Amino acid sequence: MIPSTRIPALATAALTLSLGLTYAQKVDTVVIGVAVAQTSNTALLGQEQVIGAKFAEKFLNGRGGINGTPFKLAFQDTGGDEAGAINAFQNLITKDRVVGIVGPTLSQQAFASDPIAERAKVPVLGPSNTAKGIPQIGDFISRVSAPVAVVAPNAVKQALKLDPKIKEVAVLYAQNDAFSTSETGTFQQTVKDQGLTLSTVQKFQTTDTDFTTQVTAVLNAKVDLVIISGLAADGGNLVKQLRQLGYKGLIIGGNGLNTSNMFPVCQKLCDGVIIAQAYSPAQGSAANQVFVKEYRAQYKKDPPQFAAQAYAGVQVMVEALKALDRKKKLNTYDLDDLRVALNKQILAGKYNTPLGTIAFDKEGEVIQKEFYVAQIKMKDAKNGSFVYLK
Amino acid sequence: MEFSQFIQSLLNGLAIGSVYAIFALGYTLVFSILGIINFAHGAVFTLGAYFTYTLVVGEFSNNGLLKGVALFPNGSPLSGHPVTFALATLLGAAGAGLIAVLIERLAFRPMRSRGADPLLALVSSLGVALVIVNLIQLLVGAEIYNFPSDAYGETPAALSFTLGGKIVIIRTVQVIIFAVSLVMLAALGYVIGRTKIGKALRAVAENPTTASLLGISVDRFIVITFFLSGFVGGLAGTLVGTAFGVAGPYFGVTYGLKGLAVIVLGGLGSIPGAVAGGLVIGLAEAFVPAQYSAYKDAVAFALLFAILLVRPQGLLGRAAIQKV
Repeated sequence: MIPSTRIPALATAALTLSLGLTYAQKVDTVVIGVAVAQTSNTALLGQEQVIGAKFAEKFLNGRGGINGTPFKLAFQDTGGDEAGAINAFQNLITKDRVVGIVGPTLSQQAFASDPIAERAKVPVLGPSNTAKGIPQIGDFISRVSAPVAVVAPNAVKQALKLDPKIKEVAVLYAQNDAFSTSETGTFQQTVKDQGLTLSTVQKFQTTDTDFTTQVTAVLNAKVDLVIISGLAADGGNLVKQLRQLGYKGLIIGGNGLNTSNMFPVCQKLCDGVIIAQAYSPAQGSAANQVFVKEYRAQYKKDPPQFAAQAYAGVQVMVEALKALDRKKKLNTYDLDDLRVALNKQILAGKYNTPLGTIAFDKEGEVIQKEFYVAQIKMKDAKNGSFVYLK
Repeated sequence: MEFSQFIQSLLNGLAIGSVYAIFALGYTLVFSILGIINFAHGAVFTLGAYFTYTLVVGEFSNNGLLKGVALFPNGSPLSGHPVTFALATLLGAAGAGLIAVLIERLAFRPMRSRGADPLLALVSSLGVALVIVNLIQLLVGAEIYNFPSDAYGETPAALSFTLGGKIVIIRTVQVIIFAVSLVMLAALGYVIGRTKIGKALRAVAENPTTASLLGISVDRFIVITFFLSGFVGGLAGTLVGTAFGVAGPYFGVTYGLKGLAVIVLGGLGSIPGAVAGGLVIGLAEAFVPAQYSAYKDAVAFALLFAILLVRPQGLLGRAAIQKV
């Protein structure tokens, strides 16, 4: 019988063993973890990330993998909440014994699960975590997704170019989503910096479907511009209801609306929505054009940002591993040492990805030069495209 | 609050309240007969919308195992989609009704035949709900599907009028939902109050043992109850889907929780109570000031709590009479 006072100590020890101490073992097969949402409401984004990661696996292995040795991806479903992300990370670290992790889908999941990887000294590349403070979680945490503070202001400036008479602005955001609350702060600051009036700020939940209250408030405020920070489902629905109830002014969608998954939601009413993008299918790099061609062939539509960023996440890991392998064969490393070396190499490199050329600062923040503003043009009720605005 | 704003909030509240009411009708039907909550009702609601979408559009284009599969290939009876939206809605609701019957067979009847605690049946139905939701995602993905924007023909998207110089607006689809929920209430009221089937259902609800001694097939009427419940739920799913889009496999879950609050507030097992509860919660949400509208769920449940403190049996429920 274990004395009850010793149980917490034993539990802590067991957890430390399971997470932090991987016994010395050489790396036979390189496994990269992908922890994204394959179930729950967030699966809408996670599914695209799975597609992007699988594309990278197929394409990069087709080109010789890691200097002639194929790598494997291990997928774990994070669901849409923090607990799911923590479980997925733990499984990838201890069971699948991955060299690094691409994930999770949501910023708020990252705040919960990234510290697990940090303690285990496993490098993490956030594919779509754009909230403030993600790279600062720890030394092993980086991201390929540009922070909202960089991307969002471009859309407001573009809207003012399209309609210089804009004065009154309404801002709406999903208050239960860390990324949206972070993004709306940036948008609201940009509105003030541009000398515009913030007439009304409305909150909603990502799970909401009826936005009559918010739309009525926006209409009563008689604004010239509406800015929405949410995800594809709620954001698309909000656009639809704004238009149906008679709002005729410009609408800006945040990063969460930067996906063709929005098209079936607001259909023809999506037309004209302005989106700030960290990725554009129109980006001319060779890496992107190959990716776009493959994606279109298989899915009959342009790749969304979430797929492109997941692809880039896997690509960065693979290229960093290739660079390490050239210095010292990967199968001579212990897993712990390889993880640490991989983290250093990720931060040291420069990568030509579908997002354009990216690198990282010493904290793990992505350094990306090219950003885009696009306007949605709907061909019919189902099909549309993001038209790049110069 | 200005008068025009009051009227606007009233209309918003009636519109969303009627959605809650029509959803809660299905819950109430099953509870009134079996005395248990069918947690799979949210999944049935979701299925109703997906069935109708299948009949109207015939293809799921985004993700899942059915991606790009023509569900009605050329030469099949439904190729070219000759089904009108109204007929597809009714067929979708009937399909949801059949699924509800299947759920009764799988999740409730085995428990009932063993005399299991009602709590076990509730957990069992929750399990079925999760299986259905995940199965939907496996087949058609997590994307949102929207009915064609001309589902209701040439009706305008919104109706508006001026009041004291201010515009009051309501979406046409919400007016339709409100009208349909009133019709459903009247129809259910008639079936349960005025027909032989209704009498038998009430007899089973009152005392299943006595009802079976009187020659009423209890199992058969339980099946009828589940079918009606699923039909109403499926119909609600389609209507809500046309208003807000079929927001993925988890679409019914939020309504499931709200529906639970509605039937408790209205009075467990009371059909008029379900409608009253739905409208009260809808109105409570609508009158939450716009800048705090993200907290409307909290307001709705706080109201539920406050009313139950005063009337534990709900608005239109009957207080339990104890024999002494």
